[in-house]
Amino acid sequence: MTPPLDLSRRQFLTVASAAAGAALLAGCAPGARAGSGAQTLQFWHLLSGGDGVTMSQLLQNVNDAQNDFFIRPTVLAWGTPYYTKLAMAAAGGRAPDVAIMHATRTVGWAPGGLLDPWDLDKLAELGVDSSTFPQPIWEKGAVDGKHYSVALDAHPFIAMFNTDICDAAGVLDSDGKLTETSTPEAFLDQLREIGGAADGHALSYGYLGDGAQMWRLFYTLYCQHGIAMELPEGGKVVMDKDAAIESLSYMRTLLDGEIAATQADYGTAVAEFATGKSGMLFTGVWELRTMQNAELPFDATMIPTLYGTPAAYADSHSFVLPRQASADAHRRDLTYQFVADMLKGSFGWAEAGHIPAFLPVTESAEYADLVPQAHYADAAQHVVYDPTAWFTGSGSNFQGEFGAAVQNVLLSGDDPAAAIDRFESRVNTFLKQPNPADPEGTSRS
Amino acid sequence: MTTSATSTRTIVTGRSSVRTQRAGSRHHRDQLVSWAFVAPFLLAFLLFLVWPIVHGIFLSFTNQSLTGAGGDLVGFANYAEALTDPVMWRSMWNTVWFTILSTVPLVLIALIMAALVDRGLPGQWLWRLSFFMPYLLASTVISQIWVWIFNPQIGAANNILKFFGLQPIAWLQNPDTNMLAIVIATVWWTVGFNFLLYLASMQNIPAQQYEAASLDGAGAWRQFWSITLPQLGPATVLIVLLQVLASLKLFDQAYQMLGGVASDTTRSIVQYIYETGFVGYRFGYSAAISYIFFTLIVILGVAQALITRRRKEQF
Repeated sequence: MTPPLDLSRRQFLTVASAAAGAALLAGCAPGARAGSGAQTLQFWHLLSGGDGVTMSQLLQNVNDAQNDFFIRPTVLAWGTPYYTKLAMAAAGGRAPDVAIMHATRTVGWAPGGLLDPWDLDKLAELGVDSSTFPQPIWEKGAVDGKHYSVALDAHPFIAMFNTDICDAAGVLDSDGKLTETSTPEAFLDQLREIGGAADGHALSYGYLGDGAQMWRLFYTLYCQHGIAMELPEGGKVVMDKDAAIESLSYMRTLLDGEIAATQADYGTAVAEFATGKSGMLFTGVWELRTMQNAELPFDATMIPTLYGTPAAYADSHSFVLPRQASADAHRRDLTYQFVADMLKGSFGWAEAGHIPAFLPVTESAEYADLVPQAHYADAAQHVVYDPTAWFTGSGSNFQGEFGAAVQNVLLSGDDPAAAIDRFESRVNTFLKQPNPADPEGTSRS
Repeated sequence: MTTSATSTRTIVTGRSSVRTQRAGSRHHRDQLVSWAFVAPFLLAFLLFLVWPIVHGIFLSFTNQSLTGAGGDLVGFANYAEALTDPVMWRSMWNTVWFTILSTVPLVLIALIMAALVDRGLPGQWLWRLSFFMPYLLASTVISQIWVWIFNPQIGAANNILKFFGLQPIAWLQNPDTNMLAIVIATVWWTVGFNFLLYLASMQNIPAQQYEAASLDGAGAWRQFWSITLPQLGPATVLIVLLQVLASLKLFDQAYQMLGGVASDTTRSIVQYIYETGFVGYRFGYSAAISYIFFTLIVILGVAQALITRRRKEQF
């Protein structure tokens, strides 16, 4: 505790407290934009890494193209830290002008008044309406008849495959696409052939300790049965148990140690595929750039439809209007303008792997030439989201609970039926609890 | 924290009592000055400890949500829900189980290491440094190191198992082993602190006692059992107490090593409080769980106080 330099203790304390005070005050100073009369719009998002770089580029483009507003992004850590802060900002009524949320998370927020709905007429004037989005993506934006989120993208769970290995295994057609398999057995056969041509496993699928990864594949397979799970508030989970058990058992079949490693976590699986040791990878589109950087010969496609109905588990990064106690009409108008500009300029977002939600972008000739993105673009028509409830969605407890309930089925071959029962009872406990954003249930009355 | 406040005051009052004959105004001035010195701490103490405790009790009787909604008084509903919540009880048990699993090795290994360093090993400073070093690392760093060690495919732990011809284990992902893995990492991380306390305590034992014992023909073991161990009693009580309190706070390394995943076998009560409050937004409910946990700690504290008082009365 000896003060540094040649200062008396008092001098040191005076200087130190003055410095601390100044730093504190500087933190409170509003960010001022140099020059121009442009309004500064605050924009919060949770995209870092490669996605973050692409997002900065898109924002730069939008900022450079006009002089009415200047968008100022704030990036917060993905998942709970982000949602906690955004919720508290909205609860205090001093939220940013616009923010990104996962479409699946808006359900828990809208009823409690944390979000302001979008004015569809205003959006339509800017060329953004239901006709410019794939139907399931547009519909996901609505909660109780009001539109709370406008999707920037859909980021589905897909299959990437190594074209060299799959070619050697003879499972590619003349266009270089994976030959179609439409039954669970046919897909197993195809994987066994791929396995014969690969140094490592046929399939890389990392799931250990990662509830989200388990849920993504499970729910893809479950929805391929042509059904969806329902979570009525205050009720009990509506689920086809036979389909759930079949989906889970099939996942276990894949993880037999031959087709795919029995014990693999997310990072290990990505690394196995990226180093060319395996023929196929089940992953989110966001790993696209990892594979491109690895200079791997690969292509991508929807996860094969094995149970009759095409389905691709996905979530969407969506624009929302967090509640502001005194929203400025002019700034709101500029915010609408910003969102429209972003959607129209979202071609760049495809480079990060995500499928832009705005149809004029994905229907352009330019996008058709963008490979492999164009090869899985049809997934946007078949996206399935988390079942609707306040406790579901990306980064929520729900997917973690699923993982905790079923992991031992995949890892050590426990009884799938018992695991599904465990999961069901956990979800039913959640359903009994009130939505914390709306404990009085005003939305239901 | 409370101790430092009271001790400051004792010193000051002790000094002023010496000067009771002097003028009352001087006494008054001294009092003011002493309060001024205590004020910064007192302010922080009231603001960040007393107020949150009081406010927390209030919150636990409401359905307050992180999102600002709720806030109505709901009586004991949160407590009733918590006491019948199987996840709450499971988390509570996980915490207690971790405390048992970690305290025993953390005390025993620290004692053995301290005895080795104190009595036998050459290059004492090197051992002291290397045993204590991990304790200086941030929990994030040790979590990352042990996540690599426990990686089921490329981790060092499984390489060692393979060397002995054993099957690889998914240490952190398998519910049968993940608590053990966290205990191993925690022991490695924090044993250095207990080691240091033991070592300091051992080095306080006068060397003459050992000299006299060896003159009487007592060997190293005899000396350890009859001289060292009996005199480590107070240190052991302190170490066990500190260790139990530290282990009950289990959260960061477990949360980080499992990547934030909720596992029924490792979710500690602190993690459950965090999950209900900050992920599930139910502030009122998570406050109620906090106070149930708080009660447990108070019971432990009282039990410990009774035990030490009995010990003192015996002497």
